[in-house]
Amino acid sequence: MNRRLTASCIDINTPYCPCLLAETNHCVFCSHLRGQPVCDCNWGGVCILYEKQWQPKNVMAKNGGGPSRTDELGRIVRREPLGKDTYLLEVAVTEELARGLEKTGAFVFLRRPEDPQFFHFPVGVMKVEGRNLQMVVEAVGPKSNRVLEDQAAELLVRGPYYNGVLGQPWIDNITCGKILLISGGMGQAPALPIAAKLAANRNEVTAILAPGHVGSVFIEAELVGLGVKTHVVDSLRRTGFALVTGRLGDGAEKPDLIVSAGPDEQHYGVINAMQAAGLNLPMAATNNSTMCCGEGICGSCTRETQDNRIIRTCKVQTDFTQLL
Amino acid sequence: MVKVVVAGGGWSGCAAALSAAKAGAQVMMLERTDMLLGTGLVGGIYRNNGRFTAAEEAIAMGGGDLFVAMDANARHRGVNFPGHNHASFYDVSTMEPLVKKVLQHYGITIRMKTRIADIVKYGRKIQALVVDSGEVVDGDVFIDATGTSGPMGNCLKYGNGCAMCILRCPSFGPRVSITAKAQVKEIMGQKADGSYGAMSGSCKLNKDSLSGDLRQRLETEGVVVLSVPSNLARNSTLGKKACSQYAIAEYATNLVLIDTGHAKLMTSYFPLEDLRTIPGLENARYEDPYSGGVGNSVRYLGMAPCDNTLKVESLENLFCAGEKAAIIVGHTEAVITGLLAGNNAVRHCLDMKYLELPRALATGDFIAFAHDQMATKDGLRLRYTFSGSVYFERMKATLLYSTDRAEIGERVARTGLTDVYNRCLV
Repeated sequence: MNRRLTASCIDINTPYCPCLLAETNHCVFCSHLRGQPVCDCNWGGVCILYEKQWQPKNVMAKNGGGPSRTDELGRIVRREPLGKDTYLLEVAVTEELARGLEKTGAFVFLRRPEDPQFFHFPVGVMKVEGRNLQMVVEAVGPKSNRVLEDQAAELLVRGPYYNGVLGQPWIDNITCGKILLISGGMGQAPALPIAAKLAANRNEVTAILAPGHVGSVFIEAELVGLGVKTHVVDSLRRTGFALVTGRLGDGAEKPDLIVSAGPDEQHYGVINAMQAAGLNLPMAATNNSTMCCGEGICGSCTRETQDNRIIRTCKVQTDFTQLL
Repeated sequence: MVKVVVAGGGWSGCAAALSAAKAGAQVMMLERTDMLLGTGLVGGIYRNNGRFTAAEEAIAMGGGDLFVAMDANARHRGVNFPGHNHASFYDVSTMEPLVKKVLQHYGITIRMKTRIADIVKYGRKIQALVVDSGEVVDGDVFIDATGTSGPMGNCLKYGNGCAMCILRCPSFGPRVSITAKAQVKEIMGQKADGSYGAMSGSCKLNKDSLSGDLRQRLETEGVVVLSVPSNLARNSTLGKKACSQYAIAEYATNLVLIDTGHAKLMTSYFPLEDLRTIPGLENARYEDPYSGGVGNSVRYLGMAPCDNTLKVESLENLFCAGEKAAIIVGHTEAVITGLLAGNNAVRHCLDMKYLELPRALATGDFIAFAHDQMATKDGLRLRYTFSGSVYFERMKATLLYSTDRAEIGERVARTGLTDVYNRCLV
């Protein structure tokens, strides 16, 4: 837990590295693949320049220069309303994609097969059961509406993508710790796999849940099944954050890690609660950046950090508190 | 208490730590891998040609501990081979623990498997080194002995790729230059054709894979010269070698094998199938897991700009040693620069005048000459060593080359530097 969360790329050591950013001389990690003359990275794993050297040339040619994810057809097997304009979708995909998504912070891009590629949008994976992916989609705009309307039977699923949680290494590496999980509204969907991972590592998880504008708390039963202590509140703003501040101020209840799954306003609320309690705990937070391509190219997910770096949040891990 | 932090535990880092400890400092040395000596773990050759003079000068100046250790651990002494006279070979397989004991005897804190990832700098002063675990190691003065070879990306771009050499980057993580992290622009060495870097000059065969006769000759004589069939002569590879003292025509038509514990083959790399066509090497293989048939480490990527006191330019409290200090080859050269850097690091903390070795000594002339040459375009394409090439020629021409211990001792005495490294300054 003492390891610093240095800005690192979530795709390192996956089949998706080196990516199109390396191909276009913008790798976030390798100095050579950023046009510099000599090595200047801090990666203790397999050299990215080397990975590029060994990358099968046919894969490169097929995908226009680097390995990227491909769309595959998934069949909708379940569609269940959870609240106003919000549905649980269960989609059957290939074994390979399903296995690839069993990772903290995993997400996919969805669209209708007949729609152009720019209709796809990112959706976090709540649960993988066999070959079925459970996701929660809220109809808020043209892209999400298209996926939910007309009782569509099939969707194009593109994945796996991994950077859905900023601070993911903390979640993956903490064991036997005390964790405070705060989740509201749509944030409940990503909160479930996070809680499952934490519980599997014998952590003591306490969750504060709020229905948010979805209007329902839909993961409580599953969390209780995982051994998580749950507190459901009507509103985080009105009662939830006071509860958080109270727990942070109580020495016996002080967590080792705080996780916020929800909108950015909620993340800031958690940071304020920490400041009010005079604490600076490691914090993991869901990544709410707008994403259009997921491959580091389009630039819609870029955020500026406190040390004036522009990072592509679809790939780069950072501490949420470092974002401006 | 003066606290000196040495980054890198190769021969130069070991010498710097030793010298700083002898001058009275509290010394901590951080090493990335699980063994000291760096590429010296596959080195072994010393006291050949002008290196004899340099070693004796260091001994007369009171910095002889490491040379004494090498002499005590030598497999062969007074060996002659093409272009080289009176060489000694230390045993590479047993040298490292011995050096570690010497350093521990002086109370130096040695931290193994501790890779530096970053530094903390305020203005022109380094405050601390940051280990990759996030731990911060602070000190009053720092010595950059991180070398100039690797990591893998550099070996791929400027060489034939990772040969799984003794630096073992994939296991222990990449080397990070303190100087570069302090945003000082580094100097890049060049090959004869102007491309960056140079390839390490020797590889090692497993001795048990040589024919019985060859192995026996090697162990009794210390060196064996085999002629290379004309179809395999390799003139074109010589310009790429780091060790220009072995980049002479005789090494293109002959293969020189040296007994340093392994069978050291004096060429950067040699394709295995070709090697096996040479009598005596029919079953040869390289030492595990090293790919000597493919390539070797690439070095001289990133030397620190420094003056002849080895203080890095534009920083107040950073000194450098070994390859970091100039385009120099060999561990004798590493040790003499390390001794100077360690001593000057302590002087820095005590506001003393820095020591600069006078040009009347081979070691002083060597550092100054290498720095002068590195300021020129052609000079960046050469490598400097007491044992051959341009600098040994210069040593002979200026009469600095000597194998007479008494004469060398007198020379050091005339400059007033006898036992200078033995004095406690604190």
